[in-house]
Amino acid sequence: MFRSLYRCVLRLHPSRFRKRFADEMLSIFDQGAGKSAPVKLLLDGLVSLVRQWTLRPEFWRDVAPAPQPAPEGIPSFSTLDPFRPRAGAVIHGLVLSTAIFCLTCFAIRYSWIHVLHVHIPEVQFDIPLPIQPSAISRQHAISATSPLPPAEQAQITLAPPGLPISMPKQANRAPIAAQDRIAESPTASDPQSQVSPAARVATVVTNRTAHPKHRLVPQSAEPSDHREVSLQALAGSGLLRAQDQSLMPLADAGALAQAPTGDGNLDSAERRRVLDRAIANLKKYYFDRDVAEKTSDALTAHEKDGDDNAATEGAVFADLLTMQMQATSHDMHLIMEYSRDTLPEHPPKQTSASLARYRQAMEQENCMFKKVEILPHNIGYLKLDFFPDTSVCESTATTAMASLNDVDAIIFDLRDTTGGFPNMVTLIASYLFDHPEYIYSPRGAPTEESWTGSPVPGNRLADKPVYVLISASTWSGAEQFSYDLKMLKRATLVGETTRGGTHAGVFHRIDDHFGMGIPEEKAINPFGKTDWEGTGVEPDVKVKAADALQMAQQLATKTLQH
Amino acid sequence: MDDAASFLPLSPATLHILLTLAAEDLHGYGIMQEVARQSEGKYKLGPGTLYDNLQKLIQRKFVQELGRRPGDDDPRRRYYRLTSLGRGVLAAETDRLTVVVREARLRLQVAKPRRA
Repeated sequence: MFRSLYRCVLRLHPSRFRKRFADEMLSIFDQGAGKSAPVKLLLDGLVSLVRQWTLRPEFWRDVAPAPQPAPEGIPSFSTLDPFRPRAGAVIHGLVLSTAIFCLTCFAIRYSWIHVLHVHIPEVQFDIPLPIQPSAISRQHAISATSPLPPAEQAQITLAPPGLPISMPKQANRAPIAAQDRIAESPTASDPQSQVSPAARVATVVTNRTAHPKHRLVPQSAEPSDHREVSLQALAGSGLLRAQDQSLMPLADAGALAQAPTGDGNLDSAERRRVLDRAIANLKKYYFDRDVAEKTSDALTAHEKDGDDNAATEGAVFADLLTMQMQATSHDMHLIMEYSRDTLPEHPPKQTSASLARYRQAMEQENCMFKKVEILPHNIGYLKLDFFPDTSVCESTATTAMASLNDVDAIIFDLRDTTGGFPNMVTLIASYLFDHPEYIYSPRGAPTEESWTGSPVPGNRLADKPVYVLISASTWSGAEQFSYDLKMLKRATLVGETTRGGTHAGVFHRIDDHFGMGIPEEKAINPFGKTDWEGTGVEPDVKVKAADALQMAQQLATKTLQH
Repeated sequence: MDDAASFLPLSPATLHILLTLAAEDLHGYGIMQEVARQSEGKYKLGPGTLYDNLQKLIQRKFVQELGRRPGDDDPRRRYYRLTSLGRGVLAAETDRLTVVVREARLRLQVAKPRRA
C-alpha cells in the first residue's frame, strides 16, 4: 500500500523531475523497504513534492532532448528554447488576433480614408452582369464558382469589339454561338440580305472597323442596332455629348418614334428614379468613395438645376448622365447605358452545348491564329485576329509560338485584332521575356494572370526583336498587348494609332432599359496615369496600316543586318 | 578556481554528495548509503533531498549522469560521476572548510581557561 502511495506521490511531481528520477526513487523505496520505514520515505516523497512545486519552478518543464550525434555529412537538429506558451495564453492570443483582424477589415471596408484603394466587396445577392470583355479576368478568377459561358464571352468579344457594356444586349437575343456569328459575318456586306441578329452584329463590326473613330450608321441594320452602335461608339470613345443626338440619322429617329417602350416619354419622375438608382450604384460599387460622392453630388446638382429636363429620351438621358459623371470623375470607364431592348435580369447560363460550340468555333478558326509564317531573312510572322481563351486555345498558341522558335525576329500582326482574353495576352507575351514580367491591364487589380510565365522552357524568342503591327482597328486586348510591350520597351509598334478601348468596369442593371458600367477596382498603371482609353496606343513608327508589314520587315531586316 | 569559489559555501547535502562521488561513480542508493557511512550515520539523505540536489548539480555541471549499467542488480538505477568542475568546487569547499576548522580550533584553544 505504501508503495502505491509512494508511486502516486512520485507521479504528482513535475513532469521533468518525474521522468528523470521517479524510477530511481521507486527503486530506492523497493531496496530500502526492509531497512527504513516506508513511512519515512513516504514523508520524504511528500516533502520533495512540495519542494519541487514551490521552490523549483525552473525545473517544471521538460527540456528538449539532447541532440543526437549525427553521422558525417548529415545535419543534426536541436531546439534552442524549450519554452512553450500556456494554453490560456494561446487562447488569449487567438481571440485578440481575430478581433484585430475583424476590426482591420471593418475599418478598411467602411473607412473614408482610401490610402491603399483596397476594395472589399459587400456580399451581394443580385449578381451584377459583368461587362464583356472588360471583366474577363474577373470571370476567370471566379470561374470555379460561377463561370460565364465562354460562348457568351466569345459572342461579346468577337463581335462588336467596342461595346463596353454590350453583354446584356447580346444576352437578350436568342443565344448565338460564336461559330454562327463568324459564319454569318460575310452577310454583312450584303445590305439586302435577310440578316439574323448575329449578322446584324457582324454588320456593326464591319462598319465600325471601317470607321473606327466615328459614329456609325450601318445601312443594313435595323434601327435598334443604330441606336446601340451610336451610343456605344460614343461611350467607348469617351467623346459623349448630349447634343450629338441631333446628328442621329432620321432612320434612328423613326425608330425612336416607334419604340415600344418609353423612348420618348421619359418624365421627370422616371429620370429621378433612374438617377437615384445610378447614384446608389455609384456609391456602392465605385472603387473611390470620394469620387463617387462628388459625382453623385454633381448628378444631383444637375438634376436640381434642370439640366436634365430636356432629356426626354432614354438614350439622350443616358448620354447626358454619362457626360455628367465623366466630367466630374474624369473616368472614361464610368458609363450610363440605355438599351431599347429589355435588359435581362440575369446573365445567360453556361451550357455544355454553348461551351462545345465555342470550342468548335475556335477549332474551325484555328483559334484565330490566321497566319503563322516565316518570312525572308528568317523573320517570323504571326497574324492573330483575336486573343482566345487559353482554356480552349493554349495548345494552338504554344504550337504557333514553337513553330516560330528559331526565327531571328518576330512580327505580330494585330491590325485586325478585335480584342480577346487577358490570359492569352499574357501567354504570348511570356515568350518575349526571360523573366516574369507584369502585364498591366486597366480592367482591374492584378491577378495571377498579370505576370508572364517567363522564362518558357526551350524558348529562344526572349531576346529577339519584336514588331507589332497595329491599325486604327486594333482594339481592346490587342491594345493591351501593344501598350504593354511598348511600355516595357520590348516591341516596336508599326502602323496607326489604335482605337482606344479598355473595357474597364462591371455592368450594373438599373431597370429594363438602363444600366451602367462602373469600375469597381482600381488598376494602378505602372507606366503612368493614362492608358489608351479614348486615345489609343501610339505607334513608334507611323505608317498606313496597309504598309505596316512591309515597314516592319524593313526595320527587322535592318536590325538583323547590324 | 574563481569560478568554483563562486558556488561556495555548499549545503551539507551537496557537500556530502560531491564527497561520495569523489571516490567513484555511484547510483542514487549507493550515494545515500555512502553518505550515511561517511557521517557515521549522523547524516542521512532521503531520496527526495538526494535527487533534488542531483538535479541542481547536474544542471550546474558538477555531476554528470552516466545512465544505466548493463548487468546491474536493478536496471532502474542510473550512475552519476563527479565532473572536473564538481571536483574543483569540492576542493574549494574543502579548502574553505579547512580554514574554517583551523580558525575554529584556534579560537577554541584561545577560549580554553588557563590553569593557574
